[in-house]
Amino acid sequence: MRTLPRSPIGLKDAAVDLRGVTRLFGAAPALVRVDLAIERGEAVVLRGPNGAGKSTLLRIVATALSPTYGGGSVLGFDLAEDREQIRRRSELLTHRTRLYEELTARENLELIADLLGIAHDRVQEALERVAIADVADERVRTFSAGMRQKVAVARAIVRDPELLLLDEPTTGLDAAARGAVDEMMLRASRDGRTLVIATHHDVTPGLAARVVTLRDGSVEASS
Amino acid sequence: MTSARQATLIARKDLLIEVRGRHALGTLVPFAATVLVAFGFAFGPGREVLERVAPGLLWMAVLFSAVMASRRAYQTESEDGALEGLLLAPIDKAAVFLGKAVAVTVELLALVIVVLLLVMVLFDLSVADPFLVLAAFVLGAIGLAAVGSLFGVVAESSRTREAIFPMLVLPLVAPVLIAGVRATDLAAAGRSGEVWSWLGLLAAFDVVFLSVGVLVFGYLLED
Repeated sequence: MRTLPRSPIGLKDAAVDLRGVTRLFGAAPALVRVDLAIERGEAVVLRGPNGAGKSTLLRIVATALSPTYGGGSVLGFDLAEDREQIRRRSELLTHRTRLYEELTARENLELIADLLGIAHDRVQEALERVAIADVADERVRTFSAGMRQKVAVARAIVRDPELLLLDEPTTGLDAAARGAVDEMMLRASRDGRTLVIATHHDVTPGLAARVVTLRDGSVEASS
Repeated sequence: MTSARQATLIARKDLLIEVRGRHALGTLVPFAATVLVAFGFAFGPGREVLERVAPGLLWMAVLFSAVMASRRAYQTESEDGALEGLLLAPIDKAAVFLGKAVAVTVELLALVIVVLLLVMVLFDLSVADPFLVLAAFVLGAIGLAAVGSLFGVVAESSRTREAIFPMLVLPLVAPVLIAGVRATDLAAAGRSGEVWSWLGLLAAFDVVFLSVGVLVFGYLLED
């Protein structure tokens, strides 16, 4: 992987600072020389048609994927060298909820809490915030898609990361489940967390977000 | 949070999923029983022939069960993207490997107990040195689980994982099969003095593949 020199922008406090990031899948480019800077505490909405590279961009920032070329930093940590530090401070929320169907909602959250050394009080608080405390002891396989997404949102609340990456978080959800996601995003933004949201839907009301438009793997506009 | 504690949590999670879903054991016990009964009929009622082939049959059943149990351990991770969740969780990736290996080992040993009882009842066979037979199965199960847990994550990245996984695992575990069959045969016949060298081979295999797994699993889990 080729690492580019530090950005002349010199965003010491940037939450995300990507420089010349290109990602190929085989020979097909998903991202092409993307430069993107996001300040800490900022909310950014990624827009663009299907295949524009929004999900790939989020997955690179989350360190689920490596750039083929280029590099950068997330929360001050190098994308290539400090993956565990970035993972400690960020959460990627997608339509794939990453839950274990045979475990209950509470057990799924307590597993993460135990692995990360987080108190179980936070689990109960998160379950109540997304309004699923009454079904927390039922297995996830009995849940609808919306309920599962609420559990995934609760997991993000339990972790309370500095950087929240959301990939189409409300797709296919009913109004109640969308409300839980919106509430979580608003609260995280108010608490100074950085949000990067890839979505085709309207921006959450009340969330002051910069819009970055991607097209064919490149940043087309930022406003 | 120590790696040992994280491995314990992963193993506990996998076993809880197995106990509730009964995916692996619900398939493995009928499979192993069918193999034993089928071969029992094929070889006829002659006690001498059955005594000679029983160790091989037992280990064949355990080997194929190990392949199925290891695949299942990763199927639960891939169903809703949970494996990516483990990748992005800031935990020791070696703990994930060890946790999965422990869970598969426990499942295999549960199966071994059932299958041993089946053999003794169906074939009316006795075991001269049950302690050494058990030691062979414990060491063999650890080796099979280590290889299965290591290559399970390799196969997971392939679209043809169902075909690739046995092709990767079966040649590698040939030493376990050979040493396990010989150790079981000798221990069942009461030739305990000759068993130890085969147990040593099984233990060496375990050390090698557990060490390799701890060292490389994190790299295999990355993209």
